[in-house]
Amino acid sequence: MLESLLALGGLVLLRDSVEWEGRSLLKALVKKSALCGEQVHVLGCEVSEEEFREGFDSSINSRLVYHDLFRDPLSWSKPGKALPGGPLEALRALDKKTSSGPATIALDSLSWLLHHLPCPTLCQTLHALSRQDSCPGDSPPGEQVRVLGLLHEELHGPGPLGALSSLAQTEVTLSGTMGQASAHILYRRPRQHPTHQTQWFSILPDFSLELQVEPPLESQPRSDPHTPSVDPTTHLTFNLHLSKKEREVKDSLTLPFQFSLEKQQALLRPGLSQATSHIFYEPDAYDDLDQEDPDDDLDV
Amino acid sequence: MAAAGTCGTGTRSTGSVVAAASTNNVTSFQRRGPRASGADSGCSRLVSIAGTRPSVRNGQLLVSTGLPALDQLLGGGLAVGTVLLIEEDKYNIYSPLLFKYFLAEGIVSGHALLVASAKEDPADILQKLPAPLIDDSYKKECDEDVCSHKTESDIKMKIAWRYQLLPKMEAGPVSSSRFGHYYDISKRIPQELIETSKWHGFFLPEKISSTFNAEPCSLTSGYMKLLQFIQNIIYEEGFDGSNPQKKQKNILRIGIQNLGSPLWGDDICCTENSDTSHSLTKFLYILRGLLRSSLSACIITMPTHLIQNKAVIARVTNLSDTVVGLESFIGSEKETNPLYKDYHGLIHIRQIPRLNNLIYDISDVKDLAFKLKKKLFTIEGILSTQELNPHLLQLLYCKWILLPLSHQRLHLPPDLSDTVSRSSKQDLAESAKLLGPGCGMTAGGKKHLDF
Repeated sequence: MLESLLALGGLVLLRDSVEWEGRSLLKALVKKSALCGEQVHVLGCEVSEEEFREGFDSSINSRLVYHDLFRDPLSWSKPGKALPGGPLEALRALDKKTSSGPATIALDSLSWLLHHLPCPTLCQTLHALSRQDSCPGDSPPGEQVRVLGLLHEELHGPGPLGALSSLAQTEVTLSGTMGQASAHILYRRPRQHPTHQTQWFSILPDFSLELQVEPPLESQPRSDPHTPSVDPTTHLTFNLHLSKKEREVKDSLTLPFQFSLEKQQALLRPGLSQATSHIFYEPDAYDDLDQEDPDDDLDV
Repeated sequence: MAAAGTCGTGTRSTGSVVAAASTNNVTSFQRRGPRASGADSGCSRLVSIAGTRPSVRNGQLLVSTGLPALDQLLGGGLAVGTVLLIEEDKYNIYSPLLFKYFLAEGIVSGHALLVASAKEDPADILQKLPAPLIDDSYKKECDEDVCSHKTESDIKMKIAWRYQLLPKMEAGPVSSSRFGHYYDISKRIPQELIETSKWHGFFLPEKISSTFNAEPCSLTSGYMKLLQFIQNIIYEEGFDGSNPQKKQKNILRIGIQNLGSPLWGDDICCTENSDTSHSLTKFLYILRGLLRSSLSACIITMPTHLIQNKAVIARVTNLSDTVVGLESFIGSEKETNPLYKDYHGLIHIRQIPRLNNLIYDISDVKDLAFKLKKKLFTIEGILSTQELNPHLLQLLYCKWILLPLSHQRLHLPPDLSDTVSRSSKQDLAESAKLLGPGCGMTAGGKKHLDF
């Protein structure tokens, strides 16, 4: 699962909530890309550096380049120590640093950035970050820059969530049932239809991923909020159902205005089978049965 | 189509009128007024520009949108000087196709192009345009599809056989190759066509300054820059008639992609009440003013599904001339609906302009769906290929009888609904709810309808 998430490149959005946290998945992805030998930059805003590095072994920790915004977000301390210019400058600096070779940028978290920056500016910066390649669409996926963003979806309204979803190439929504976490993944490949996938997983203490089988759905008692449905056809004075024989007869019925083959044949044939129509006339006593044409004396 | 026939003869006849007027030995009728000498200076009332034709209804100059089926729905084409707004579908798969068709039509007709985007480089957009199809290959495509459809439709059209006589929405290849071409999406446009065309690109990340300034002006800086760019091009290239040396008039086709998205710097998709909520509407207003005074047509795709404030969508619709909405079935419950199984989405014509006219040019078929085949994008009316379900009619009849009998919510009996599709059941249930209170009150109590 991790390979497929990292394969597409671009912005990978991890949407988590209070019940199903996403930082462990983010760390698993960071570990995976560090093991692949890529440059990994982490912009830490919500947790301290020690807490983020906890659980990684030394080889991975040496590959992580950590940019700390947690300790001094407003740059109150001496300007030399913390990142100057605030979060926006930090992002733009990342843009310049990752211009060579494949890289992964982990943003922990996008929610913090959304609260400190206006949404359109953040979207524009993320777009600039994730389209690092000089010839888009032609470069191999390994050369692209991947941006992993952790977003706490309960903190934002539908506006920013929708805006960031439309930017993301891959969107992972974390949920789960009964203690088992699941990821609903939406892949938006550039010129293809989006594809969905749901994967049940669990993260081990060393931040490697283990796929799980979907837990069996327990049969919940179906609470029917509506009143039991009334079958209106039970007490009717007419019959609405068709028996099988009636259905067959109905299907084989020729409709009156349908110009079917039989009618066509019947019209074309001169009428050998049918008798021509006769008029049977019984004259009354008062009828004038003059065989002569009454119009003969007219000078027409 | 009558329109296609008259378009060819119409332009030919005006040409011949002009020819007859200039050669004054053919007819004894003298033309009053200053005799025009030569081909320039507007002696012909109808401007004869390549790729345009006058509308048969009101003489308005029209350009093709690149999709002849869409042209037919819009009353012949897109009027010069107007804006076509495409409301994007949710995953933005089909609206770029319409955008590309418009631009490709411009290249094939020899119009000038202006492509503006905040997401993609305009040079890359132009590289991905579809290749034009010559008439013969389109006929082959059409025939293949017709054969596959004929066998299906013969079986179904038993009761509603009169619907077979309804004309299909698609027009065949237009006889005159000057208006409306067909394109093959699976192939790219040949490079030499792009090189011979005149195009201008506006890519926002290059134009905008890197420093973040909270400007107090009412228009977002991205929009302001785009408007200035468009105005410059119109003035310099003489599309508004300001450059009188230019003899050959041409149309400028403007394409703006993803207008209103956060990448343009507009937060209308992010918040419901924002300080700069009027910048998009002001942009459209100024753009329309620019278009009306020049020989240009504009297509804009906008992600209206992301806009949080619904009042803004209504304002945007009013400020645009023609509005077409795309709704794709991906991810929605309509994907599994058997009614829509052949199609990929619905097209809603939300607005058609009344230009110099008192009435609208609305087509008769209201339910339109589109389908993306391997090479073509087609638009069809749904009702023309579906029979009227006899069970549906039966259901409507018994609902009318049964409503006063049961005051509870009417649930359709399960065994009657084996041929009725699920969504039409829901539609009927909703219409039953609408009928319910009315019928209940007029019936008044548990009176049974006796026959």
